[in-house]
Amino acid sequence: MRQRSLIAITAALAAGALTLTACGSRDSGDKGSDSGNGDGTTVVIGVDAPLTGDLSAMGLGIKNSADLAVRNANKKEFVKGVTFKIEALDDQAQPSAGQQNASKFVSEQEVLGVVGPLNSSVAESMQKVFDDNKLVEVSPANTGPALTQGADWQKKKVRPYKSYFRTSTTDAIQGPFAAQYVYNTAKKKKVFVIDDKKTYGSGLAATFTEEFKKLGGKVVGTEHINPDAKDFSAVATKVKNSGAEVVYYGGEYPQAGPLSKQIKAAGAKIPLVGGDGIKDDTFMKLAGAEATGDLATSVGAPVEDLPSAKQFVADYKAAGYKEEYSAYGGYAYDSAWAIIEAVKKVVDANGGKLPTDARAKVTEAMQSVSFDGVTGKVSFDEYGDATNKQLTVYAVKNGAWVPVKSGTYTG
Amino acid sequence: MSGIGPPEPGEGTRAWDGPRQKGHAGRTRAALAGRCARHRRTALSLAAAAVLLGGGALYATRPHPPAPTRRPHPQVPYPVHAVDVTYLGARPAPAGAPPRSFSLTVLLSVASGPPVTVTRVTQPYAALSLVTEPPAPFRTPADSARKITITMHVTECEKAPRNAELPFLDVTLRNTRAIQTQSFILGPRYAQDLSQALEVACSNRSR
Repeated sequence: MRQRSLIAITAALAAGALTLTACGSRDSGDKGSDSGNGDGTTVVIGVDAPLTGDLSAMGLGIKNSADLAVRNANKKEFVKGVTFKIEALDDQAQPSAGQQNASKFVSEQEVLGVVGPLNSSVAESMQKVFDDNKLVEVSPANTGPALTQGADWQKKKVRPYKSYFRTSTTDAIQGPFAAQYVYNTAKKKKVFVIDDKKTYGSGLAATFTEEFKKLGGKVVGTEHINPDAKDFSAVATKVKNSGAEVVYYGGEYPQAGPLSKQIKAAGAKIPLVGGDGIKDDTFMKLAGAEATGDLATSVGAPVEDLPSAKQFVADYKAAGYKEEYSAYGGYAYDSAWAIIEAVKKVVDANGGKLPTDARAKVTEAMQSVSFDGVTGKVSFDEYGDATNKQLTVYAVKNGAWVPVKSGTYTG
Repeated sequence: MSGIGPPEPGEGTRAWDGPRQKGHAGRTRAALAGRCARHRRTALSLAAAAVLLGGGALYATRPHPPAPTRRPHPQVPYPVHAVDVTYLGARPAPAGAPPRSFSLTVLLSVASGPPVTVTRVTQPYAALSLVTEPPAPFRTPADSARKITITMHVTECEKAPRNAELPFLDVTLRNTRAIQTQSFILGPRYAQDLSQALEVACSNRSR
């Protein structure tokens, strides 16, 4: 009996062992962003973006990409003794929510840097909160020139906040580049300009319009829309009656998609052109099949084409995020990595430990950060703007954004 | 019929067993043996898969004969990623240039990779034409820079953009990997010098 029991137990153990090995699950439960380097210091990188609502496709891509940077830093033990974590807060693309989030990040001592936000209008509400507390923020997506160069940037550039940086380029370049393409390459001389009255949209429309007129183009009509609206039939009729050859829209894809569709439905079979705010696959879903020929400029080169981005694209896929990295994923990764690099500088300069005034030191260190990132060389000029200024014009072809022209600002 | 056989039946053991045992012990043994067999099959399947994968990997990574067509080396950068074009300044048009001409100089640098050939330089405005010195195509090796003189001729003053903010040059670049056209936006100094040169060229015309 004992022998039989022994055999049965042995068999059970063997079966169990086989179950644990050959039949075992490979689910490691790796949380990535909080897998640490032992019992060292934890540094939190805040992420502020619209994680819900119309713009969440871009916001979630930012959050996931920042998370990926943190995972990689922890895996490589990039900063000895420091484990990075992200804390993501939803600003719903609202300035008031963004400001509350900024206050929350400031109140948490472990937060040494923030990636975000997406919207320039949200950034405006956060900048002072961060700057008063010397907490560095690096936006992957804000393009409003005033954020780094001051409200009077067209006449005299003055940096308003030393704690604000961005990895994307600005509308001071994006708007004119779009105007050059529309006028010279697409040969459209009459434009109808529409914006959503927000900081980003109206600013971009203004820089486009100024350059378009300087080139000899004619603005045959202007309109402002309500960002909460979905019915643009009245504006579409005005566009149709204006004789415009092209529509320029300063705003984001949740409105740009229906606007494009309704303009075509009104009988004006003309392209709608916008900036990086409309360059998302959701635009095509909202605009329908007639969006073919619509155009968007976007800050940066197509991530898929950059040799520096191959690892990012592969890692993102391997990490199994549900959402796409979207237009700003590469820039969000680089923003988070810039914070990680700045923390490393501070820790290295302080004998391997964070100093008591870590936030101020990290903000200071950010100015001289320089590394080869996903989007190319990452460093910042005297205003906190990215030194790498690339732009791409995309056209809708077969239901996808296809790059048709790319430019590099070398001034 | 009291023998229960080895816990891990050998090859063929199960297939040649007698009729299925009745009773609890028999069922337990049979169930256990069944489980073991399933695990064995799983393990065998995994082993087979591993052999197949290993074989596949060995096959995939076997030494290849040289490809019949030239394929770019994976480390070769795209030409636009290897090249930078920056603005140097304005200079007088060369002797013999047509009226309403002016010259601007740029520096083309190749940072890495194989030599890059400039096959074409254009600008986007219909009212202007240009020639370069050296004339395209010309080749620049890595870790070197070449000064290029762009001489523009105004063909239609009425349509010339007098004060564009961000004028650019379109440069077509070729290396062993690809041929690409990139717009180089040369910045405010270039914009200012271009505007001034256009102003001068077109005001001379009216004199």
